[in-house]
Amino acid sequence: MMKFLFMMIFMIPLCFMKNMFWLVQMMLFFMMFLFMNLNLNIMCFFNMSYMFYCDIISFGLILLSIWICSLMIMASESLFKLNFYFNFFLFNVIFLLIMLYLTFSVLNLLLFYFFFEASLIPTLLLIIGWGYQPERIQAGMYLLFYTLFGSLPLLMGIVYIFNDLNTMTIYFLKFFNMNMYLLYISMIFAFLVKMPMYFVHLWLPKAHVEAPVSGSMILAGIMLKLGGYGLLRVMIFLQEVNLKLNYIWIIISLVGGLFISMKCFCQVDMKSLIAYSSVAHMSMVIGGIMVMNYWGFIGSYILMISHGLCSSGMFCLANINYERLHSRSLYINSGMMNFMPSMSLWWFLLLSSNMAAPPSLNLLGEISLINSLVSWSNISMILLMMISFFSAGYSLYLYSYIQHGKYFQGLYSFYVGSSREYLLLFLHWFPLNMMILKVDFISIWF
Amino acid sequence: MNNNSNKMFFLFILFFSTLISISSNSWFGCWIGLEINLLSFIPLISNSKNLLSVETSLKYFLTQSLASINFLFMILIKFSLLKNFNMNNIISIMMNSSLLMKMGSAPFHFWFPNIVEGLSWMNNFMLMTWQKISPMILLSYYFNKNFLIFMIITNLIIGSLGGLNQTSLRKLLAFSSINNLGWMIFSIMISENLWLFYFLIYSMMISMMISLFFLMNMYFMNQLFINNMNFFIKLNLLINFLSLGGLPPFMGFMPKWIIINFLLINKFYFLTFIFMMTSLIIIYYYIRIIYSSFMFNYFKMKWVNLLMKNNMSLINLSSFISISSMILSTFIFM
Repeated sequence: MMKFLFMMIFMIPLCFMKNMFWLVQMMLFFMMFLFMNLNLNIMCFFNMSYMFYCDIISFGLILLSIWICSLMIMASESLFKLNFYFNFFLFNVIFLLIMLYLTFSVLNLLLFYFFFEASLIPTLLLIIGWGYQPERIQAGMYLLFYTLFGSLPLLMGIVYIFNDLNTMTIYFLKFFNMNMYLLYISMIFAFLVKMPMYFVHLWLPKAHVEAPVSGSMILAGIMLKLGGYGLLRVMIFLQEVNLKLNYIWIIISLVGGLFISMKCFCQVDMKSLIAYSSVAHMSMVIGGIMVMNYWGFIGSYILMISHGLCSSGMFCLANINYERLHSRSLYINSGMMNFMPSMSLWWFLLLSSNMAAPPSLNLLGEISLINSLVSWSNISMILLMMISFFSAGYSLYLYSYIQHGKYFQGLYSFYVGSSREYLLLFLHWFPLNMMILKVDFISIWF
Repeated sequence: MNNNSNKMFFLFILFFSTLISISSNSWFGCWIGLEINLLSFIPLISNSKNLLSVETSLKYFLTQSLASINFLFMILIKFSLLKNFNMNNIISIMMNSSLLMKMGSAPFHFWFPNIVEGLSWMNNFMLMTWQKISPMILLSYYFNKNFLIFMIITNLIIGSLGGLNQTSLRKLLAFSSINNLGWMIFSIMISENLWLFYFLIYSMMISMMISLFFLMNMYFMNQLFINNMNFFIKLNLLINFLSLGGLPPFMGFMPKWIIINFLLINKFYFLTFIFMMTSLIIIYYYIRIIYSSFMFNYFKMKWVNLLMKNNMSLINLSSFISISSMILSTFIFM
């Protein structure tokens, strides 16, 4: 595990040399390949070294983060071509990857918090540094302050646990019962803000829309999953309070997911629609984790991984259109099938995965979540039915508005997708639709 | 006054006066140290060619001598009228108030932003760091816990809310200094060692920032945006301010984390919450300052070129320390 950390640390000087843009991306793919070959053992922590470990949840999320970071660099070729501080951009991406890798793989809960917070700084730099509009300042503020407002009580909770239990090792936490209401609220609020749950979700549409494509990819791909990972780790020692109080968060997130799905239909900005759909998917993930049965955990984990790939791919597609038409508005991006028919194949594949059509991994996640939530209460059938229906609705809405119809007459000329863009989308779609053939390595935990 | 041996003489007496104050066996010695401190600081800050400087030093003299007289009076009352060691009485509150006024802590803070506005950066550095040592240590000798906790809350709130409407960099750092005083007063209530740790890291961060502003000759927020700053200077500014705000992974997170540890050991739960939330407000106005280093291309005048070729190594070293000291500090325990 340390070897990956050192590989990433030594990629940092590589970012500052001349003409090393694509080499850094290749090294990240190479590291992904090396990481995949670790021995994956279920039901235990494996590959333990000084302060690192790998659990089955950590393994999948680290894989996802390395994958998305390498695809981030592939998507940002325009920074390299236009020579817009791409050295510092590469440094930001590698630094963010180091922080995410460390978040998912340290044994100590306080170090988890440290790297959880530390991953905000490069994200903020990405949004405000390379974003496109002046609204990105406000978006960065919202991101930073919503997350910090949630996570400072988390620090209090972690230090309180340390003073009480005298241990911070995540593995040992399952032997204790810290059933206090205030501790419960302070521990999970940070992750609910990060997920995001419905009432504290306002930072997400702003941050996702104003970020550049790489920022949107990493935000949708991994940063939301930090909240899910944190919830999975922290709920173990709060079980009794969980059983008493979780219904609040399930109800808020499911009803909120319904409202957000309906709000998706009113969006004009493509990225805004994808951002709101992220909130709707994550609302189901929160519901699944909070129900605290095995199907719920499995479903939420699968949906986290698949949503990371799918949402990130959709942001890449939105950026592909944005780079050509310089607009994200649905009024201008219409009739794209006339010009880029191959790209409309990728729009269709990724949007069909978004609406959880077979054979995508989202389907399995949603089926598991529907199972778990309906087993918790039959009334959630109504909410889940509406959320799934509307997710199909807005995915088709987006697809149809962008691809079909008459094109905007004010277009000049642009080229059909380059092979780099097709490769980028293929690498998003392929794990998403092929992993369902061998899903037991992420869905069987014991 | 010019940079001559007068300054060195008064600086030496300034340092010596703090040592007198904190190492004396009797309260009189403490008071003497505080008076000599005041007397030797006045020539350092007053410059007879600049009227603002003279006015600033006069204001400083008036407030500090008032506090010293108060302190002396309370010492005399304590010796003559009260023969007990009980800290929960009015005399300890009065003694603490006079020391808090010497430091510039709320609610006796009104002189502090004013005077900081009138001083140059190097004098500010002395005022914000060295001048706090002896009142702090004297505070730890005889303090009233309930009163000080109330003062901590006042410090935090005033320090965070006061800086929201400021555009002068000196006043911003003054309010941030008032906020950090809240953290420091709590740490000295726990242990002097803890306070020393917080104080050293705080002084290091303040010194990096003040030296950066001094070299760039920047006193107001709009100067951050007009200049054509080197990229590394902007990065250094970013790292230093985020570190001062207490965000991980920078160095400034460590003292705040340790103070929170001791807060929670002693079961000050609500106070911890106030510490965190005011810290958020402080981070807000720090980020307002460092917008210029977040955005890479803003409207800047190219004819104001900051030539800092000779001083780059120190700046790079300080950023490096801010980023990596959390990791390097683990080597202490090897």
